[in-house]
Amino acid sequence: MSHNVPENLKYTKEHEWTLIEGDVATIGITDFAQSALGDIVFVELPEVGGNMEIETAFGVVESIKSVSDLYAPLTGEVLEANAELEGAPELLNTDPYKNWIVKIKVTNTAELEQLMTPSAYLEHCNSIE
Amino acid sequence: MNLLKTVLHQKHCDLGAKMAAFAGYDMPIQYTSVKDESIAVRNGCGMFDVSHMGEFLVEGPEAHKFVDFIVTNDFLNAGDNKAVYSPLCRENGTVIDDLIAYKLGAEKVLICVNAANIKKDWDWISSKTEGFDITLEDQSDDTSLIAVQGPGSEEALKKIGLLSSGDFPYYSVSPDNFDGTEVLLARTGYTGEDGFEVFCPNDKILNLWEKLIEVNVTPCGLASRDVLRLEVCYPLYGHELNDDLTPLDANLKWTVKLDKPSFLGKDSLENIKPTYRLAKLSLEKGIPREGYSVLNNEGSKIGHITSGTHSVSLGKGICLALVKRSEWPENKNFSIEIRNKVFPATYHTKPFVTGGHK
Repeated sequence: MSHNVPENLKYTKEHEWTLIEGDVATIGITDFAQSALGDIVFVELPEVGGNMEIETAFGVVESIKSVSDLYAPLTGEVLEANAELEGAPELLNTDPYKNWIVKIKVTNTAELEQLMTPSAYLEHCNSIE
Repeated sequence: MNLLKTVLHQKHCDLGAKMAAFAGYDMPIQYTSVKDESIAVRNGCGMFDVSHMGEFLVEGPEAHKFVDFIVTNDFLNAGDNKAVYSPLCRENGTVIDDLIAYKLGAEKVLICVNAANIKKDWDWISSKTEGFDITLEDQSDDTSLIAVQGPGSEEALKKIGLLSSGDFPYYSVSPDNFDGTEVLLARTGYTGEDGFEVFCPNDKILNLWEKLIEVNVTPCGLASRDVLRLEVCYPLYGHELNDDLTPLDANLKWTVKLDKPSFLGKDSLENIKPTYRLAKLSLEKGIPREGYSVLNNEGSKIGHITSGTHSVSLGKGICLALVKRSEWPENKNFSIEIRNKVFPATYHTKPFVTGGHK
């Protein structure tokens, strides 16, 4: 199966993408994630102003069959949460790269190095199929 | 663990279905989307491979009498060709399984049981035959089963040459002929919609599946089946029913006919005070899941969710929950705890969705 893995993003093993612009990271779930989850019917977003810590759960996505935690790709402060997803969680299926979940202010730039490149992430996806 | 496979297993894989373990079988969970598959059944026609289910044939002069003795519902007085849903209980009233018994003839009954319980049911039923003039045969390995469900089912079956001698009422059976082989059509299912379950010998099932695809019946996985049955509040063994519960705990009093002269479990079910009552609850926000706690308006735990999902038809979370009768809130004020947060639930007196079966 082929996966849509845009070249301008960085990834995690937990199938989140991040777009880094200055000290702001925009975070969402990948095409692989939305496809594996199936119909997404609920998204629980973090509080704006709160902090999230790398590799810990900051939110939840639920498909009809399953409940999955969202893991923070980076440590930071939540600047914005995409409230549109609360009313229309299926947008994550429709276009997972356009429909971001949170924007954070990155507080530990050293962590950026841990993110996966598109080619490394693609390899990761292929290895778990 | 080595998973069992139905005859259609390769077909499901070829169609790109997501497969997962269910009751010891590697079964299709979804083909394209749980949502689309649920909608296909509510509005058109979908089909499920349910060949993993078990079939026992009871034959002999006392076949009706025997089946009536082992089930709690009234099988004896059901009309010819009728199907009867019933729990199968132990003497102490606890539920071994729930099943459908089909009255095929004066001396012939087919019992269809849950896949996960085939061995348990067989051991139980075959231990109770003494004194009855019957024979019992496990046909599970030789029988495949496709459930064709939805308002378009009758038309779909007619298009592939079935039902040529006319249709027949809901919850009854009729023998038919497919591709030169005798099959059994039962107008039953697990979705609340009109539909048929086609019991078919293994060697014809692939042909039947492919013919149904040709007439645009949507292949559906077990995930949509679970949503559909939960929307119409049908119990699922292992969730709303289990070895420790009686039918009275799961609001199945209507299937326990205490006026029958005798049946397994009668004495207990006459005297027992049920512990639980099943509540139908929905949420405006959040999805209730199996295992979550049900609270009263003081925040005390009064029960737990046995099945929960996102209803495709209603677009919100729905669930069934076993609530202790001693703590049943007369004000119908129920809440559900999700990840340490409490969400007020809406109590329903009727199933979430009214199926379209006749």
